[in-house]
Amino acid sequence: MSKKKKSIDFAPRTLGAGLVHKKDLILAAILVAFGALIYYEAGKFPPAPEILGEIINAEVFPKILVVLLIFFAAIVPFEFKITPEKIDGIDKDRGEKVLPITWITIAVLLSIVAAAEFLGAVLTMFVICLTVPLVWGEKNYVAVAIYAIVFPAFVYLLFNTLLGLYFNPGLLEFIK
Amino acid sequence: MEDVVRGLLLIIELENILLIFAGVLIGVLVGALPGLSSPMAIALLLPFTISLDPVASICMMAALYCAGTFGGSITAILINAPGAPPAVATALDGYQMAKKGEPGRALGLAAIASVLGGIFSIVIFLFATPLLAEVALKFGPVEYFGLALFALSMLAAMSGKSSIRNLIAGVLGVLVSTVGVHLATGVERFDFGIAELTEGIKFVPVLIGLFAMSELLTQSRTLNAAVERMSAKTLRLPTIAELKNLKGTILRSSGLGTFIGILPAEGSTVAAMMGYNEAKRWSKTPEKFGTGCAEGIVGPEAANNAAAGGAMVPTLALGIPGSGTTALILAALVMHGFRPGPYLIIETPHFVYAIFGAMLFANFAFLGIGLAGAKLFSYVTFIPKRFLWPSVFVFSLIGSYAYSSAIFDVWVMLLSGIIGYFGLRNGFSPAPFVMGLILGKMVEETFTQSMVIYDSSFMNFFESGVFIFFFVLTLISLSTPFWQNIRTAFSRKKDE
Repeated sequence: MSKKKKSIDFAPRTLGAGLVHKKDLILAAILVAFGALIYYEAGKFPPAPEILGEIINAEVFPKILVVLLIFFAAIVPFEFKITPEKIDGIDKDRGEKVLPITWITIAVLLSIVAAAEFLGAVLTMFVICLTVPLVWGEKNYVAVAIYAIVFPAFVYLLFNTLLGLYFNPGLLEFIK
Repeated sequence: MEDVVRGLLLIIELENILLIFAGVLIGVLVGALPGLSSPMAIALLLPFTISLDPVASICMMAALYCAGTFGGSITAILINAPGAPPAVATALDGYQMAKKGEPGRALGLAAIASVLGGIFSIVIFLFATPLLAEVALKFGPVEYFGLALFALSMLAAMSGKSSIRNLIAGVLGVLVSTVGVHLATGVERFDFGIAELTEGIKFVPVLIGLFAMSELLTQSRTLNAAVERMSAKTLRLPTIAELKNLKGTILRSSGLGTFIGILPAEGSTVAAMMGYNEAKRWSKTPEKFGTGCAEGIVGPEAANNAAAGGAMVPTLALGIPGSGTTALILAALVMHGFRPGPYLIIETPHFVYAIFGAMLFANFAFLGIGLAGAKLFSYVTFIPKRFLWPSVFVFSLIGSYAYSSAIFDVWVMLLSGIIGYFGLRNGFSPAPFVMGLILGKMVEETFTQSMVIYDSSFMNFFESGVFIFFFVLTLISLSTPFWQNIRTAFSRKKDE
């Protein structure tokens, strides 16, 4: 076998051909830090009454899980040595940058949810059906307008009128 | 027998039949649409079924599960884009057969193999569930802890990109289940001063976020992707002679699929891949695989649908999900006030038989739907993503809010989706996390009870033979994927 083949099988193409996989090392560090935070928080739980015995303290089970988590996380940076093809596949996915459209979508979704209680269910649905297709580059504005009116109306009729689900009126209550 | 009749009578009420039929239709639709999946559909349906009759809702979800597995094969065959992961293996030969000008035949083979595989596993389900429940009745907390441990360890072998990441996701799922009041001591855990967290994190918004929202974000990358599709005017069922030739493959795959389905955590995707591999291994013409051969379609299709029935066995009899989708059905059972596990079949046997009837009905219904509307279902891929996914977001938002009329749950849904999206990019699948989340409470409860019973010593657990049995199985299931990987790596190094 050639040297080229070796580099494909035993080390990721771009993320460090050394002992550890760089991105997975960061991932493991995040997991360990998260575990440490949970372990620290668990340590602050008040102890159980003595009659119940020490072992069923509320902190015991989460602490065992954190130990397991850290143990598994410690393997992650070296996983590419054992399953190079699988990690190559993961590297392919995360090697592609998160597109601006995805960040924008996240921002739009967060904004909509932040405004949802104020807007109320029906208006929130309307805003979703209007903004998301436009943000995603839909150029057929008539179709978007029809969709933004018809779909929320359909959902309202189906779930509120037929199934009796409560829809928070939000802003519509003031308009009334 | 009386319970079987009672169960079947439950589902032949018009309202229930309509709901089950709706489940089949939704299942085939979401199965056919790449990106949408039956776990996602069940997660979205969960909150809306609160007001429905519990038996009808669970039966609808079971029917959706069966139909969704078949639905995935429609797009796998017609556009080489498996609508659901279990249909990946079907695409290998199905699409090739469609390209040769026989899309209707490929769909027919997939449909009939799915139905036969499904019926095979339902028969096993009918007999195995009460037997397994009877055994499980003898289990105490320590045996249940061993079983839950084994189920979680099976995550290592679950389909996904990495065994170790599956285990990490499972541990994180269990960890999330510890949020809220600790039942044994009344201590509030990990609430970080947020009042809503004292009740714990509700699993429905998390499930919706992980399955629906993370996929929405993934889809935002591929808004302009074009697909090449085959046109199938109708589905053509295989002839009797053709079926005779394929009966060995169908039977073998059905048995294999049912067995894999029964194993905790192993679902239809693993079954389909193994069904395909076994069909090839036993074939007299293995060289024809990948070129559009019938065995390459019926092998994975019989196996993946059989796994769906098989996965219901541990879910109902033990309260241990047999797959990611049955983990959601388990969540639905809990939400509707049922007690999954041996007592379910002891206390409400007719309910279990109603599910059996619904799944049987679903198998025939999707065959009928497939025969009548194969062409129509292939058109669902034309629904523009720019309208489809905002609709999914609307359902996610309404669904997570409807669950307890709290905007906090909507935030949980959205944040779970965002975390799930970045998790997916780093090789973490949502299914192991969900398994951990749903099994978490049971693991902690049985662990705590066992510690009390066995004088706070883990070593004393080994006094139970059943615990030793599950512990050994746990060690085997944890070590097998790693040994296999290490062996492969070493043999490659040796070759070099």
